[in-house]
Amino acid sequence: MTSSNMTCEAFDTALPDYLEGTLDDSRRASVERHLSECVRCTSLLRDIENISKQAAALPDMVPSRDLWQGIEARIAAPVIPLAARPERQRRVVPAWMGVAAAALVVSTAGITYTLTARSFGGAQTRIAPIAPRDTQAQANTSETPTSPVDNGGAGTPPVAATNSAKTTVPDRTLPPVSLVKATATDREHSDQVYGREIDMLQNIVSQRRTQLDSSTVAIIEKNLKIIDRAIEQSRAALAKDPASRMLDQQLTHALDKKVELLRTAAMLPANT
Amino acid sequence: MAAVSNVVRVAMDDSTDVALAAAGDRQAFERLYQTHANRVFSLCARMSGSRTKGEELTQDVFVRTWEKLPQFRGESAFSTWLHRLAVNVVLNARKTEGKQASRTEQNDEDEERWDQVARAPMHIERMDLADAISKLPAGARKVFVLHDVEGFKHEEIAEMMGITSGGSKAQLHRARLLLREALER
Repeated sequence: MTSSNMTCEAFDTALPDYLEGTLDDSRRASVERHLSECVRCTSLLRDIENISKQAAALPDMVPSRDLWQGIEARIAAPVIPLAARPERQRRVVPAWMGVAAAALVVSTAGITYTLTARSFGGAQTRIAPIAPRDTQAQANTSETPTSPVDNGGAGTPPVAATNSAKTTVPDRTLPPVSLVKATATDREHSDQVYGREIDMLQNIVSQRRTQLDSSTVAIIEKNLKIIDRAIEQSRAALAKDPASRMLDQQLTHALDKKVELLRTAAMLPANT
Repeated sequence: MAAVSNVVRVAMDDSTDVALAAAGDRQAFERLYQTHANRVFSLCARMSGSRTKGEELTQDVFVRTWEKLPQFRGESAFSTWLHRLAVNVVLNARKTEGKQASRTEQNDEDEERWDQVARAPMHIERMDLADAISKLPAGARKVFVLHDVEGFKHEEIAEMMGITSGGSKAQLHRARLLLREALER
C-alpha cells in the first residue's frame, strides 16, 4: 500500500493503533506518508496528541469542603467483628437471625423482670456510678480494640456479629460497643450517654441513607424497630421496678445493641 | 534538588504514617488524607463526572483505605496502592448504580447529555478540557481519565473495568474525538 492508497477513512481506522505505537512498520509508514500529504488528518492527529498532553498535565482538583470530618466520623465508629462469610452469602442477611436475637432480648427482659420482682421484692440495690466513656475505653483497652474481618469487596456486612470472629489489633483504639457498665444505676446519666451516641449515629446513618442499597436500609430499619421495641419494654418494666439491677442491665444491653447496629450501618461502604 | 528532597521526605513521611495508621493511629491517617486527598478527589470527580459525587466517593475511598490499611504490605508505593483502591471504589459504585438504573437507560442519558453539549449555541464560551471531560458519556469518560489522565495501560483498564483491551482502546479513541469536537467549537 502506498501513501496515495490510504484514504482518510483508512487513516481514521489506523489512528488509535498508530497513537498506541502498535502498527507494524509498513502500516506505520503508510500512515506517515498519508500525514505528509493530508492537512485534515495532520490536524486531527495534532489535536488528539494535544488533548492527551493536556489531560496528563491537568492540575489536581480541590474539594469544595472539608471531607475529613465525615471520614473521621465513619472511622471513629468501632469496628464490629464480623463472621467471615463467602461473598455470595454476605448480601443476604437472614432476617430471622435479627428477629430471633431481638425476641431473645424481649423475652429475657420479661423473664428477668419476673424473676427480679420475685427475688428482690423491690429492694434497693446500690450500684457504682457509671464511668465516662473515655475513661472506660482506656480502662478496658484489652476488650475494645477489634479489627474488621475484611469484606474484600463492597458486600453488605451482616448486621449480627459473633464473638468467635473477634481479632485483637494493638492500639486500633476504638471505643467499646458498651457505652456504660451494666452495673450503672444512674439511669438518667446512662440515657444521656446513649442518647448522645445514638443521635450522632442516627444523624450519620440518615445522611448516608441514599448511598446504601435499599434492601440493606430495609433490614437495618427492621432490626432497629425490633430493638426499639425491646428498649421500650425494658423501660416499661424498669419503670415498675426501678431498683432492679437486672432490668437495668437488660435495658443497657438493648441500648448497646442499637448503638452496635447503628455503628455498623454508619460504617457500611456506599452502595453495598 | 529541593524538589527531589521534598519527594524523598514525602515518601519517608508516608511510610511512617502508613505504619502508624495501620496500627490505628488516626492522626497519622489524617496526615495521609491531607497528603493524598486532592489527588484522590481529582480521580473520583473526573471519573464520576461530578464534583459532588467525587466528594462522596473520596470519603468512601478513605474509609475503605482505613479498613484495608492493615493489609497493605508495602509491595508498591502507598500512593499507587491508594489510587488502585480509589479506582476500584469508583468503579464498584458505578457498577451498583448501573444495576439500579439499567445500562441502556444510563447510556441513553449519557448520549443525550453529550448531544445537548454538542448542539449548544455557538456563542457559549468555549469549554475547557476539564468541563468537556465531565460531560463525556460515562464509559468513554472513565477510560479517558484512567488512560490519559491517570496513566493506566489498556490492559490494566480492561482488567479493572471488566472489558477487553480492544474495548478500552475503542472507548479512548471515541472520548478523544468527542473532546476534540467539544474543544474545537
